[in-house]
Amino acid sequence: MAARGATLQLGGRLTVSRSAHRPGSVRLTATFMRVGIMNEMQYRINFFLQLLQSLLNVGTALIVLAVVFSKTNDLDGWTRPQLLAVMGVFTLVGGIIRTFIQPNMERTVNEVREGKLDFALTKPADAQLLISIRDVRFWQLTDVLVGLVVLTVALVQLESITQWQDLLAFVVLLFSGLISIYCFWLMLASASFWLVRINEVQELFDGLFRAGQYPVGIYPGWLRYGLTFVVPLAFAITVPSEAVTGQLAWQSVVVMIGFTAVLLVLSRWCWKRGLRRYGGASA
Amino acid sequence: MITLYTANARIAVQTQIQYRAANYFYMIGMIAEPVVYLVVWSTIANANGGSIDGLTAKDFAAYYIVWTLVRNMNIVLTPFAWEERIKDGTFSGQLMKPVHPIHEDLAQFMGWKLVVLVLWIPLAIVLALLFKPSLSPTMLQCAVFFFAIWGAYFIRAIMQWSLGLITFWTTRVGAIFEAYYLSELLLSGRVFPLVLTPHWFQTLTWFFPFRWCFSFPIVALTGPIENRDLFIGLGMQLAWILFSIGLLAIVWPRAVRRFSSVGG
Amino acid sequence: MPVIEVDELSKTFKVPVREQGLRASVRSLVRRETREVTAVDAVSFTIEPGEVVGFLGPNGAGKTTTLKMLSGLLHPTGGKCSVLGLEPKGRPAELLQQITLVMGNRNQLQWDLPALDSFELNRAIYRIPRADFVERRDELIELLDIGELVTKPIRNLSLGERMKMEIAGALLHQPKVLFLDEPTIGLDITMQRRIRSFVADYNERHGATVILTSHYMADVQALCKRVIVIHHGRVVFDGDLSALSDRFTTQRTITARLADGEEITIRSLREETASATSKLLADYDVVDLTIEDPPIDDVIEQVFADAHEAQ
Repeated sequence: MAARGATLQLGGRLTVSRSAHRPGSVRLTATFMRVGIMNEMQYRINFFLQLLQSLLNVGTALIVLAVVFSKTNDLDGWTRPQLLAVMGVFTLVGGIIRTFIQPNMERTVNEVREGKLDFALTKPADAQLLISIRDVRFWQLTDVLVGLVVLTVALVQLESITQWQDLLAFVVLLFSGLISIYCFWLMLASASFWLVRINEVQELFDGLFRAGQYPVGIYPGWLRYGLTFVVPLAFAITVPSEAVTGQLAWQSVVVMIGFTAVLLVLSRWCWKRGLRRYGGASA
Repeated sequence: MITLYTANARIAVQTQIQYRAANYFYMIGMIAEPVVYLVVWSTIANANGGSIDGLTAKDFAAYYIVWTLVRNMNIVLTPFAWEERIKDGTFSGQLMKPVHPIHEDLAQFMGWKLVVLVLWIPLAIVLALLFKPSLSPTMLQCAVFFFAIWGAYFIRAIMQWSLGLITFWTTRVGAIFEAYYLSELLLSGRVFPLVLTPHWFQTLTWFFPFRWCFSFPIVALTGPIENRDLFIGLGMQLAWILFSIGLLAIVWPRAVRRFSSVGG
Repeated sequence: MPVIEVDELSKTFKVPVREQGLRASVRSLVRRETREVTAVDAVSFTIEPGEVVGFLGPNGAGKTTTLKMLSGLLHPTGGKCSVLGLEPKGRPAELLQQITLVMGNRNQLQWDLPALDSFELNRAIYRIPRADFVERRDELIELLDIGELVTKPIRNLSLGERMKMEIAGALLHQPKVLFLDEPTIGLDITMQRRIRSFVADYNERHGATVILTSHYMADVQALCKRVIVIHHGRVVFDGDLSALSDRFTTQRTITARLADGEEITIRSLREETASATSKLLADYDVVDLTIEDPPIDDVIEQVFADAHEAQ
């Protein structure tokens, strides 16, 4: 911000090097990632414990799926390999959320509640960026690993061969879905500027997230809408799963991208409003 | 002893009433789990001509709604709590009292359940309206159900209390506890009604305490269940409670000795 | 009949040795190396009923460890001790009914509820008859001056107020022996004083034996006639506080204020205090004169230094 100010004053004739005053967002993100990872690397034993936990979780989910498969060949039009794919994407997405998104949001909520958010506000980088990237719970990535394995197995079992377009669509939509989950979390975290009890709402999310294990289509209407537009599980899990298993309808993509864009704008606005309120309240 | 329990229960009730909002959020989040299962099994049942293994969508609804009550009733002190207790000195304080520390936990959780029961009723009504369960238990079933939920509580409470004592020997207990929880998930009827599983699996569950903490109380109320099985179930619960007490009697003195030689 | 008897009490811990580097951590996975740390080394003393004894020593000296052995929380690795004729090791209920342990900065009362509710809980735990309970509770409330605070949730109280509640809760069962571990730590001066005067008062009224550990000299000075100094797990001094001063100081400090406002401080050897004073009075226009032992903290420093040298 200091750089911007200086440029204005000088009438724009002198270009003040931005990086001298304010590191680019990408470099900042990379730095935080690196520090976070280095920190976690110290606890190597955590890797094995976390891997064990991921395997146990997925193992249980697979046993449940097995029981489901023993009774039926398809669920709401989804075949066995397709359901397995959903399970894989669910695990993978869960891992990414718990590695990159959730730790940051939970920490922000705690800091808002204790009035300790000032660290983020007094640095010359965008506050939203800062609070979104400073924590990395690296070892939760074992879920990503395990999820990918399950997904690969599922794709192999599919009757049709996965096209490269499907994979591309999958990656793009996965990314978009994760952004919408991030926005959701950001709005939740922003709510902590007004409400004190946000911690418990986060627990609610953890509970609701389980619903993403199965394609959102199986849920009755009102719940389906909730899991699409309120907690965007459909976008984060179901739609990318549709993509990777070749079931994608272009309408879903349009709705999803559009909705994600709206969420991005909306969540940033909520965040800014919350910051303003915080700035007014804390001494 | 009774005054000890009522005093502790009263403390718990007073505390939890203060935290009723937190309790509510937790309960609502917890409902997601059975609702997911409910929907999955109902979908399968409906697609399969109305029922699988004799259970219709309405039966599944009944199973999982009663599940929410049973689940709330069998929440106990998590084994993970022990690490904190030892570290912050709470445990030392408990050791200084002339009563066994388990009574405090048992009694306080019992008191908590009274609050939970009251909070649960409106949630159950909403769920019933949404999913329309089929439920018509006999008087005997209701009576057995009442005892069964407390039996489930005591089995789980004493068992997990004893399990938590492992913390005195190692802090790397996460994996052990997770393994315990996951076995419970699969073998208890928590995720899928046991009646859906093959015969050999159902026999297997008799060797673990888990089915008596979930499946038995639920099925006691929803049925179908023979009167004979109602009493066998209560008997099994008693057996497992005695087993847990035995386990505690073996592990506890060793845990205290360990704490006293190493200093926590 | 002594209330506490301690005979060659020792406590050693096995502490894991961890070294830097990858190779060392791999090695440690296979073989756990430990070294022995002696926290308490052949400590002996006896305490008579009604005494107020202070355990003094720097951090890590072994005071808290000794206290924990006396209260049954730790098992000794050598020697023996008895409290009220019973061995604390087995944690016999009979003993637990008659002792209490209060640790500074640690909370045993219910966090979200007023102290009164926690007191009721203690009544149930210690099976105190209702009439006795009410009488004792009201006496404690009055002595500690917490009447307005007992109805507030513990979490809303300040650190010092919480400490007062802890003490009240700990005395409802009228224990014969009080173990106080750093009770005034983290409290402001006024609160420290109040708690000290309460303990002294309580000891007078009920004849309870009090063992107090602290690294605040002021606690010990205010309360304890007898002091046991522990350093590196050993008893370095056991006797009257005044004797401590006498034995370990060879100096006195003389402070004189002169008519023109100046202050002179002289340190003189004990034997020469009288002559130094008279010279001072003769040569200067002294308006005010004080003769003091060096601050007791310095004395203790000296004690430790001597003990260290003796090792």
